[in-house]
Amino acid sequence: MRSGYTHTKAVLYLLLAAVAFVCLVPFYSMMITSTHANSDIASKLLLWPGTELANNYERLVASVNIWRGFFNTVFLAVTGTALSVYFAAAAGFGFSKYRFRYRGFLFLFVLGTMMIPGQLGIIGFFKVMSMLHLTDTYWPMLLQTLYDAFGIFLMRQFADASIPDEIVESARIDGCGEFRIFHRIVLPLMGPAIATLAIFTFIGKWNDFLTPMIILFDNDKQTLPVMIASVKSAFSSDFGAQYVGIAISVIPLLVFFAVMSKQIISGVAAGAVKG
Amino acid sequence: MKRKSWLPVSLALILILTLLSACGGNNNGVNASPSSSASDSASPSASEPAASPSASSSESASPSALSGKLVIWTFFDQVNDMAAKFMEKNPGVKVEVKMFPGDQYQTKLLTALQSGKDLPDIFDLERGYIGKFIDSKFLADLSAMGAEDLVKDYVPYVQGLGRSSDGKLKAISDHSSPGGFWYLKETAKKYLGTDDAAQIGAMVSDWDKLVETGKKVYDQSGGKVHLIENAGDLFDIMAYNTEPWVKDGALNIDPKWKDTYEVQKKIRENNVDAKLEFMSAGWGTALNSGTVVLTSMPAWAGFMVDNKDDKAVGKFGVAPTPLGFYTGGTYRGIYDKSPNKELAYEFIKYIASSEWQTYNLGKTGNMPGLATVYQDNMDSFKSNFFGDQNILKPYYDTVTKLPALSADKYGEEILSLWRKSAGQGITNKTDYDKVVASFKKEVKNAFPELKVD
Amino acid sequence: MNTKINKSFYGYIFIAPFFIGFLLIGLAPILYTFYLSLTKWDGFSDPVYVGAANYTRLIHDSFFFQTIGSTLIIWVMAIIPQILLALGLALILNERFVRGKHFFRAVFYFPHIVTPVTLGVLFSLMFDWQTGSINKVLMNIGLVDDPVNWFNNPWWSRIIVAGVICWQYFGFNLIIFIAGLQGISKEVYEAAEVDGATKPIIIRHIILPLLRPVMLFTFITSVIGGLQLFDAPLMLGDGPGNSTRTMIMYLYETAFKNFDYSYGSAIAYGIFIVVMFFTAITTLATRTKE
Repeated sequence: MRSGYTHTKAVLYLLLAAVAFVCLVPFYSMMITSTHANSDIASKLLLWPGTELANNYERLVASVNIWRGFFNTVFLAVTGTALSVYFAAAAGFGFSKYRFRYRGFLFLFVLGTMMIPGQLGIIGFFKVMSMLHLTDTYWPMLLQTLYDAFGIFLMRQFADASIPDEIVESARIDGCGEFRIFHRIVLPLMGPAIATLAIFTFIGKWNDFLTPMIILFDNDKQTLPVMIASVKSAFSSDFGAQYVGIAISVIPLLVFFAVMSKQIISGVAAGAVKG
Repeated sequence: MKRKSWLPVSLALILILTLLSACGGNNNGVNASPSSSASDSASPSASEPAASPSASSSESASPSALSGKLVIWTFFDQVNDMAAKFMEKNPGVKVEVKMFPGDQYQTKLLTALQSGKDLPDIFDLERGYIGKFIDSKFLADLSAMGAEDLVKDYVPYVQGLGRSSDGKLKAISDHSSPGGFWYLKETAKKYLGTDDAAQIGAMVSDWDKLVETGKKVYDQSGGKVHLIENAGDLFDIMAYNTEPWVKDGALNIDPKWKDTYEVQKKIRENNVDAKLEFMSAGWGTALNSGTVVLTSMPAWAGFMVDNKDDKAVGKFGVAPTPLGFYTGGTYRGIYDKSPNKELAYEFIKYIASSEWQTYNLGKTGNMPGLATVYQDNMDSFKSNFFGDQNILKPYYDTVTKLPALSADKYGEEILSLWRKSAGQGITNKTDYDKVVASFKKEVKNAFPELKVD
Repeated sequence: MNTKINKSFYGYIFIAPFFIGFLLIGLAPILYTFYLSLTKWDGFSDPVYVGAANYTRLIHDSFFFQTIGSTLIIWVMAIIPQILLALGLALILNERFVRGKHFFRAVFYFPHIVTPVTLGVLFSLMFDWQTGSINKVLMNIGLVDDPVNWFNNPWWSRIIVAGVICWQYFGFNLIIFIAGLQGISKEVYEAAEVDGATKPIIIRHIILPLLRPVMLFTFITSVIGGLQLFDAPLMLGDGPGNSTRTMIMYLYETAFKNFDYSYGSAIAYGIFIVVMFFTAITTLATRTKE
């Protein structure tokens, strides 16, 4: 019995390790690639660090203002994520805990907006932004955070699953206002869901390419992914510089992820005490 | 529990440290010149070409008269260099270059053109899609502004591509992009018995000879070495040596494509090609290691040559392909509703001048668009990779023979459909008729307005 | 009674930002796309009204129907292993004895961070016909004599595309499952364990039912997102006989490569209907189970 248990454990660890390996390989390869010269990147399978990182980096900063792009992206991703998660949590809570008329229909409508392929809307989107004189500003990207159907859906499902109606009811009996209930009781309870959505949204905003590319004109306002992609031009595939750019853009995601991922756990702990 | 959250963070740290340790000991920063890109840092740094004095002195007659601000959109970072040079010459002018990523650049451009706001004065168009833009109302008529004068000494094909279907100049390029067979001299000597460009050119002067030479190389090397990279290279070589794909609103398949297809199958069957995709990893290795003897590529692709520690200096040669060809090209047009059309025209005039093109040839090794710049530097120009070989001469012969065709909106897309159908056919040894049938179906679907019999 | 109405009214306030945002900037592009789908427009000249011509063309477009089939095949091949893997790993990582939970969870999510550019380079290096590392390994161990031309075979191409998608997104679903499992209170398992229930029984009869809303979310978003597959197949191309061309790729090629925006718009609405159809089926299927 005891040894069978250890065997199961060993098998499980082996499985975890194998999957982890498969997940790490490309990541490792990405880092390693950024330290090699273009001709090597294009022609060899690279396994060990090379010596070209400094050169690749210098070419990168010579052709684009990468750190400017970095801070632009930080601003957009942080603001966008905060707004998006907040509004999604509010709407998810609204759909989950209030029985208003047309609730079912309105929710289906929210889901329906996810089903329209966004790729073509970009021309219309640009036209509208242009009419409102919002091109070459960050407003279009921030306004987009208002209607995050995916986030609303996620939040609603979590509110359904892990926030008992009784908690809301008892808060009402205690004389709490609806906004107070949402901010003081529901938001903390939704900790894991919020952390999950924050991770997805942040990574989505961080890597967002098409919208800033189309909306922004000023090189100094441009975001990191657009800058990295523009290093690759028609007559020169500067993989080396591009990979340094990718590395610069991925490391903050890792740190953010590490922090938020912890939040998923501790958020529950906090909720459990109250519940 | 708390302690464990260190794991991902420390993992990130380890990866960062790996990166840092990798760069230790290498701080010489060779490629630090501003606005340099892979192509110019790796391309042969040529000896200073002779500037053509007549042209440049007439251009700079009234330099201080110009003033104002220009906005240029491009996908090509060397435009920064053009702008810097132009501003140096005209201190009163401010040129702002806005660069967008290559693949999405045309989407950006079209989206902005549609709304008619926030548009640049000058925008770049790539060979691959210039045909779609050339007849549009967005491009100013350069002929009316006197540009015929600028291109009268141009390589015919280069100026032809910038013309709309009614023959008016709508865009101008500052370079040509001739292709040739690049080879490592050592490998050529071993398998072809010579490293002389003209002799090698003679061995592959037509497709039958090329296949015969290819068989020999394959046998002689015991199957390890191939003559050319890919049977698909013939698409690029034939692309502008055939009739246009669309004539009078109907699909037109040049009979030469049939012969080409049969040759391509023969190349594949006889192991003449190494079956490597253009610009893929294996392709690059073969070019640098010599497992392929002749690599057909354009003049601007020199950055694919591994020149670490100058190891490629003087090692390469370039021989003519059975038919001359070119690949790619960047064209520059003026937005028709730009308020700065006159100033924009001055910029176009500058990049079409021998002053700029001579400078650019020396700095980046990009071939000029002006035939006169070729002629003026024919004897003096030397390039790093090619040692003593005079590469301007063969390139000049190539580009001057190419027909001057204007680009149409279908050409490139239909060519890519043909590449897809015929490419699969070569691999699967399909009959030509079947390939044509599947190709026609694709064309009919993509462009229902075309007559396809 | 009065208070109840008032409270429900707050529901509208909470969901209002979505609808305001949507009306303000989300709706116009959708309507504009619909208008374009009724025209003939190449992106340069002015759109010309042609009525339902684009939709008639769509109904007779065998390439479009082929892309629906390809998308479904790739989707099924990607989604099943992806959800099983995500659920399995989430359950394992939920066990108390497992050490290094944070490490594994972070690492499993890495693939989702990797950009399509990196993916493209990586997979072409691995699966290249002549020089790919997979072929080199297979030839070294003697499994094959000649290199396999993976992307010349429709099924291999689809398996590779599905593999990439599975690899890229299982971490995404894993995170959702873990968050869902964290929402189930510890007392529930502990009570069951005290009652002597075995692990499989706890999983089947306690955990999975409690995870239902989260599972439903995963299924529905997988259908909606999965049928709009784009990035991963795009970098690997159309495949032999267009076997890996998905619906969105076809839309993209039509609109942005052939500059046929009007027909592209009609395809967009075609895709919308297909996605809605399959989402409805999924919703019904999950209801019947209940």
